[in-house]
Amino acid sequence: MLNVSINSLPVTVEEGRTVLDACRAAKVYVPTLCDDPSLEPYGACRLCIVKVDGMRGLPTACTTPAADGMKITTDDNEILEVRKWTTQLLLSDHPLDCLTCGQCGTCGLQEVAEYLGIRERVLQPMMREGKIDDSNPCYSINMNKCILCGLCVRACDEIQQIGAIDLSKRGYESAVEPFGGGPIKDSFCESCGECVERCPTGALITRNFLKPEREVSTVCPYCGTGCRIMLGARGETVVSARGDKDAHVSQGRLCVKGRFGSYEFVSHPDRLKTPLIRSGDGFREASWEEALALVASELKKYRGDTFGGLASAKVTNEDNYVFQKFVRAVMGTNNVDHCARLCHSSTVAGLRMAFGSGAMTNPIEDFLKADVILVTGSNTTENHPIIGLTIREAVANGTKLVLFDPRQIQLSQIATVWARQKPGTDVAWINGLLHVIIRDGLMKTEFIESRTEGFEDVEKLVAEYTPERVSEITGLPADIIVEAAHLYAKAERASIVYSMGITQHTTGVDNVRSLANLAMITGHIGRPGTGVNPLRGQNNVQGACDMAALPNFYPGYQLVDSADIRAKFSKAWGVETPETPGLMVTKMFPAVLEGKIKAMYIMGENPVLSDADVTHVEEALEKLDFLVVQDIFMTETAKFADVVLPATSYAERDGTYVNTERRVQLTKPVVAPPGSARRDLEIICDIAAAIGYPMTYESTSDVNDEMRSLTPSYTGISHARLEAGEQLHWPCLSDDHPGTPILHSEKFARGLGLFHPIEFIAADEETDASFPIILTTGRMLEHYHTGTMTRRSKALDGLVPGPFVEVNDKDAINIDVKDGDRVTVTSRRGSIVLPARVADRVDRGVVFIPFHFWEAAANVLTNPASDPTAGIPEFKVCSVRMERAPELN
Amino acid sequence: MTKLTIRSELDALRDQLTSSFDPDKRRIFVCMGTGCKACGGDEILDSLDKVLKEAKLDDQVEVVMTGCRGFCENGSLVAVRPQGTLYCRVSPDDVPDIVEKTVESGDVIERLLYEMPGSVEGSARHRISAEKEIPFYHHQMPIVLGMNDRINPTNIEDYIREGGYAGLAKALFDMSPDEIIDEVLRSGLRGRGGGGFPTGLKWKFCHAEDSETKYIICNADEGDPGAFMDRSLLEGNPHSMLEGLAISARAIGASHGYIYIRAEYPLAIERLRIAIGQMREWGVLGDNILGSDFSLGITIKEGAGAFVCGEETALIASIEGNRGMPMPRPPFPAVKGLFGKPTNINNVETLGTVPHIITGGAVAYAAQGTDKSKGTKIFSLVGQVNNTGLVEVPMGMSLRELVYEVGGGVKDGRTLKAVQSGGPSGGCIPASMMHLPIDYESLAQAGAIMGSGGLVVMDETTCMVDLARYFVSFTEKESCGKCVPCRLGTRQMRMILDDICEGRGTEDSIAKLEALGGAVSKGSLCGLGQTAPNPVLTTIKYFRDEYLAHVHEKRCPAGVCEPMFIATCTNRCPGDVDVPAYLSLVAEGRNEEALLSHMERNPFPSMCARVCPHPCEKQCRRETVDSPVAIRAVKRFMVDASTEISVPVMDRPSDEQRRAAVVGAGPAGLTAAYFLRRLGHAVTVFESMPEPGGMLRYGIPTYRLPREELERDIERITSMGVKIICGAVIGETHSIETLRKDFDAIFIGSGAWADMSMGIPGEEGCGVASGIEFLKKTELEPTIPISGNAVVIGGGNTAMDAARTLMRLGASSVTVVYRRTREEMPVQPEEVTEALEEGIKFEFLVAPVEVIRNGNNSVVAIKLQQMRLGDFDDSGRKRPVPIEGNFVELPAEHIIRAIGQKAIIPNGGPSASKWGTVDVDNFTLATDFDGVFAGGDVVLGPATAVEAVAHGRRAAEAIERYLHPDMIAHFPWIKPRSLDTTFDPTAAPLEAPRCETPKREPQVRRSCFDEVEQSLSAEDARLEASRCLRCDFGKTFVSREEVKPC
Repeated sequence: MLNVSINSLPVTVEEGRTVLDACRAAKVYVPTLCDDPSLEPYGACRLCIVKVDGMRGLPTACTTPAADGMKITTDDNEILEVRKWTTQLLLSDHPLDCLTCGQCGTCGLQEVAEYLGIRERVLQPMMREGKIDDSNPCYSINMNKCILCGLCVRACDEIQQIGAIDLSKRGYESAVEPFGGGPIKDSFCESCGECVERCPTGALITRNFLKPEREVSTVCPYCGTGCRIMLGARGETVVSARGDKDAHVSQGRLCVKGRFGSYEFVSHPDRLKTPLIRSGDGFREASWEEALALVASELKKYRGDTFGGLASAKVTNEDNYVFQKFVRAVMGTNNVDHCARLCHSSTVAGLRMAFGSGAMTNPIEDFLKADVILVTGSNTTENHPIIGLTIREAVANGTKLVLFDPRQIQLSQIATVWARQKPGTDVAWINGLLHVIIRDGLMKTEFIESRTEGFEDVEKLVAEYTPERVSEITGLPADIIVEAAHLYAKAERASIVYSMGITQHTTGVDNVRSLANLAMITGHIGRPGTGVNPLRGQNNVQGACDMAALPNFYPGYQLVDSADIRAKFSKAWGVETPETPGLMVTKMFPAVLEGKIKAMYIMGENPVLSDADVTHVEEALEKLDFLVVQDIFMTETAKFADVVLPATSYAERDGTYVNTERRVQLTKPVVAPPGSARRDLEIICDIAAAIGYPMTYESTSDVNDEMRSLTPSYTGISHARLEAGEQLHWPCLSDDHPGTPILHSEKFARGLGLFHPIEFIAADEETDASFPIILTTGRMLEHYHTGTMTRRSKALDGLVPGPFVEVNDKDAINIDVKDGDRVTVTSRRGSIVLPARVADRVDRGVVFIPFHFWEAAANVLTNPASDPTAGIPEFKVCSVRMERAPELN
Repeated sequence: MTKLTIRSELDALRDQLTSSFDPDKRRIFVCMGTGCKACGGDEILDSLDKVLKEAKLDDQVEVVMTGCRGFCENGSLVAVRPQGTLYCRVSPDDVPDIVEKTVESGDVIERLLYEMPGSVEGSARHRISAEKEIPFYHHQMPIVLGMNDRINPTNIEDYIREGGYAGLAKALFDMSPDEIIDEVLRSGLRGRGGGGFPTGLKWKFCHAEDSETKYIICNADEGDPGAFMDRSLLEGNPHSMLEGLAISARAIGASHGYIYIRAEYPLAIERLRIAIGQMREWGVLGDNILGSDFSLGITIKEGAGAFVCGEETALIASIEGNRGMPMPRPPFPAVKGLFGKPTNINNVETLGTVPHIITGGAVAYAAQGTDKSKGTKIFSLVGQVNNTGLVEVPMGMSLRELVYEVGGGVKDGRTLKAVQSGGPSGGCIPASMMHLPIDYESLAQAGAIMGSGGLVVMDETTCMVDLARYFVSFTEKESCGKCVPCRLGTRQMRMILDDICEGRGTEDSIAKLEALGGAVSKGSLCGLGQTAPNPVLTTIKYFRDEYLAHVHEKRCPAGVCEPMFIATCTNRCPGDVDVPAYLSLVAEGRNEEALLSHMERNPFPSMCARVCPHPCEKQCRRETVDSPVAIRAVKRFMVDASTEISVPVMDRPSDEQRRAAVVGAGPAGLTAAYFLRRLGHAVTVFESMPEPGGMLRYGIPTYRLPREELERDIERITSMGVKIICGAVIGETHSIETLRKDFDAIFIGSGAWADMSMGIPGEEGCGVASGIEFLKKTELEPTIPISGNAVVIGGGNTAMDAARTLMRLGASSVTVVYRRTREEMPVQPEEVTEALEEGIKFEFLVAPVEVIRNGNNSVVAIKLQQMRLGDFDDSGRKRPVPIEGNFVELPAEHIIRAIGQKAIIPNGGPSASKWGTVDVDNFTLATDFDGVFAGGDVVLGPATAVEAVAHGRRAAEAIERYLHPDMIAHFPWIKPRSLDTTFDPTAAPLEAPRCETPKREPQVRRSCFDEVEQSLSAEDARLEASRCLRCDFGKTFVSREEVKPC
């Protein structure tokens, strides 16, 4: 620690801190406009000048390292005089339109001018004619208000590592611009808004910015990273969002969806505000009493296995717990599932087989500790932007990135090795890596011997997977396989990151188990900076799984077909719970078509867009005798319902969410629900009661307590501990257990890790002369799932207003299509028309379509063939053909 | 060539090169620096080849191309050795002559020799042949640039022959890194890039850092306008810098060097590439240099011309591929520099000096220079100086010596005003501080900086406000834009300077400049911003009056700020007379209107048409076409041709009329009276002499100013109602106190009538008189006969008037004795010419030491000490120094001393300054007595009549404001002009030579007092007037009517 004195006031600061840090520690205000604790010191605004005994001139506090015994003066007449002139200079170059400026009241320049007692502009105005760039729907740039503090540029570079904007030109002409000076919308900008967040003036400002009256920290409603957002509201309208700087996961960072697309939909006029009952082709509004009575009386008819329920990865643990309890205890069936089936059911199954637990093994921050990160099947920077940032940060700090991905994603630009395998050939290349590791003696024998079993079978199997053979299957050069194997195996700490590219295959479980083999053979598991890390795609998909919105588990992955466990739940819930595991979502719709399921309750899901081969889903929904949909908008699925119940959004409820790294986070409501909308668990409780099974909870916390009492891995995770700020990762086995950020550190959850020999099996549908192109689907940065929320954000919809298909430029030439031309894409199941984005992001013979858009739903095309174990459809590979679409009139 | 693999091979190579070099072989050295190359260097080389071949001399005479020799003003330069003749401004056409006359016959070609500026054709020092004798070279001490004049920069063997790479060998094999650093420390070498940080210390810091990788960077981003030191060294002797770089790398432990050089230096880059290539080939670069364990690689990095990239952290950012923007220090580059590694950055000149220190030793190097600034420094000497170019001089040389000796003084005989040192971040040092020695501390103390060595010499035609604006607009444009004070402060300062230069400035503008300047220096991040206000702050400090003239009077004394004046001639006229107006009126034959226009601002047209030194003509832009318009001659015609005109007196309400007294009826007093009267006040002039006119009547002989002409001017004034009381001596017949009671305001224009004594034995007594006394007596008793020899002592106007009067009165011989040479005489050169024509003799470089009298106490001779010219003094003239023991005697019966006059302040008058003149406010001419103003010689000391006229008017305006403090002053003579003369701006200038004033023949005029100058014919006068280019045409300028009282 260093002892320094600020204006004769003694204060201690850590080694390596600056004089400004010391001033802040001493609670002495020093004006500054270019400093941000999360960025490198810059020293441009020159307002934090101070005097330091023994130093020449007026050094800036932000750039001067504190030293032991330093004597610092922060204001004397000379310092104030220079600060005043500096501020006057800024004012002479600033439009004094504060009354109409969105930043008024929070403006850094205003604050400094006020502090210095400046009441008039004494220098002549410079009349800057700066550029105003309104091209980005999220925020606008007004260079007339820019003070060139560089915070935006540095945030873009240091935090976001994009460098979409930079300082251009020199001297007075200096400006913040994208490279080349064009409109920001044509730049690399990802609209994350880190720049907007930091701008001290109104130069960078959210479009249609409204200042909130109050702010509440919530968990972002989108991907599974678990970033926290300070949601701002005026009255009962949510008007703003910004990163929560105190959040452990995100540390104030947000992506474009979190920052610009997380609030508009909450108070959107399309929100469902009252229950609706089918009336002819449409719906009529109904009272809750009528709607609930109708639902209860109808559902009574379908108790047992003719009923199926879909829970939601978007609602809290508590809502999901109540939902699955309702299905099991009230409806008497295990036919409960949710969309995790469509994303990570292969992970849950595969990793459970290999390790005994189907979740991400290490926390996100561990990526910074890895020497090598192997990313496959994850477009991390788009789908988990803040995790993507962590990876980028790690790479910037020297971590090597090995990337296996058929698409040229952003990470491929920073990868040490980028292998562009043919979609659907993952087992082959992973076996190839295993082959090389064994061949070159790079395996961790001691780990294999002491911690695992079944290695010999794998060893035998992969002997056949020579780099040359793998090269034939995958289309990868053999030496890339060797290089990747060496990089991964030789690292002290190596981490595997994967996502849908691995799981959404008919061989999803095989893929996952192969990755497990890779981690175990090299001993890259159970330690910081290692592990097998599936990235979960929705803000509470982990929680929905944990809460057993799954047909084969009780909460905490307790098996349905275990008699003891069933007995425990039967006793606790006071009913005999059903014996047999239920149907997975991918089996439910076929079961409907077969007439086995006649009624469904769908809470917060939109299978009409999200499931594979949606034409069949629509047929099934049409066929149901009774369908209840509970949601916040009239979704494509809700349109098939007999009763639609208005529920709450994330901003209107309390409860817990579990992010991808098993961290449980508590949130509070920001606003009241619109109209008569009610929260999910309350609705379900009322229906249960109407059916004759009273479920009453005083509070969300009560639900949590009941769940904890039945779920060992959640025992210690009480709302009270979370409220106190504890960061808990399950398993957390008691009230004083610290949680488990890293799994399998001493031993695997199943004891010994189990190797699985996996043969390569080709994708279900291979290309042929009629369908010569592989279609792969996925998400994109600006949109989320079926678009119900993101497409109701002017910002996000403005950025990407409609569907598109990514086509390789050489393929495009073959069908005479240019960028922006409309094409028809046809699979064996259907056909859609959408514009082409021609570039080299996809390889030849491959096209990519994001599945967010109902206008051209990718899942019209996808193959419902699914993994035999996990039931996950093969979204990532199907065969299509493509041709130029007729011109629109 | 074989690669040198061990040290002894280098020594052997040098021995071999030296022994095979015949110093007596005839060689022609052609300068191929950028300047000389641009003047045809390549063609000269080609031509030499051809001509020598034709003359079959090509095997006996070697042609050597060299790098820059610094004397770029005189390029192309060709030296013929061994005889050592330097030819200047050589063109390819001169080559046959050079070969035929000089190379073959050993003759010198006069026309190609260096011509001493300001010297008179035919004088001994007019043309100089020997290179070493040319003052430009003679006073230099070329240590770093030393080899430039004899080696071919593209041939490493030349460098090795001259001792090159011996320093590197010594550093590699005889010294440890610590010893190298110690040696450099002891040499006292300081960073030549401008900062002046001790080089050895910088190395020491970098050496002390523990890092496997370190870098050395040579900063060759020379961006100051007008600076080309680094460029010339790199072009002329790239190896010296490269050797220094290698030695520095060895000392600090770097294995890779970068040269950051601006892309605008293609020749330097080309020669560097050749030199680096040769270093590799010869084995002084690369792995295991000369067999040592030291390896070095060098990369050239071309900068894109951002001035700020000269700042070391910005330079590092630029090499790294980032935006060239400075970073705050610490960390210093020595700790964390290029790519985060310890880095040493030195300027080209610094590194170029290092081999000399290592080879010759620190002690020898430190023997040069001052206590704290050792060695030599290279300057680029530019601006209004005769010898512009590159010079290397020992530290501690005075600025004066640099400007006058090396630089050959100010161009076109103008006066030095200031020297700007250190480039755009430097400061201006006024002429009064030219005694300052050139070293880091002295320059800093004066508010300037050494900088990288740019020195801009400025004369009176430079406006200091405009200059400050120029430099600030440079830094404004070159600011990287990162920090607020620099980015916006330079712009705001420039905007304020724009205001001042364009007539919108106020005193508040100056105050803001000072406050902002201080804040920008203190607040800026890097050196660029910290020093950017220097030019502004130093010009305000040393030239505040010039700023005040801009803001108070909307006047640009230097005639640069266009919006301030209608034409340069008018601006230069102390009386502010609208020259283009009366010229164009005369050209149309409208002489009366012309005269009236003159009378608006100056009531002495007849007098000025004869005795005014016409500074207007010096500023006449017609000079750019052929020669200036003969303005005074036209005026003479105008005065002669006009019948009398009357000037209206303002009709003022009686309650606004006041009574004013004027002391002295000279040009200042009468002018003040004239303008006060025009304003409607009652004016009484008190004159001690019997007749009005003051010095015009009693100091100027009638052959220059006929009395009837003077009286015409005075008559016009008295006819307006000005009352003149002669024989009234203020302080005797009337007291100041009474005057103050009786009058509302007083103007004192009592002149400079007191003479100065020589203070030598025999001065007192009959036969010796002062010039002014003599002229006065002649006026009072016009017929005193003179016989015998007369000697006049002095070099001014009075001396010349006295001498020529003596001649006319019958002296048998008249000799003017002056202690310097004709070049230094303050008198107008044409007067000397006229005097010579009239038979007056001149003795130069002699000073009187005794008046020799006979037994009758009559003067018989004057004893003179012989002098030589020594150093320059503050006036830019060489100081006369006695030659011990050398005396001469000149027979003389009459001795007139005319060595100066002093002001006479009336008894009981206002306070005097330390020069004995009345102390006044520069702008209002107010004295410390309320209501008492003073002007003319009594304030200025002996000056010109037109300056007195200007003071008279200025005082009248100030008195009007004093008398009516609550009224907005309105002066009819300051009004927007409306000139209805015709002028076709699209027509080509009239082709006609300047029409000189006709003069009476010398034989006639030497014996009578008839006027020497004659009038032009009407035709000539109109033609001459039509030569005016009408710079005023269509021009808008700031009306001085707007001027607020100060």
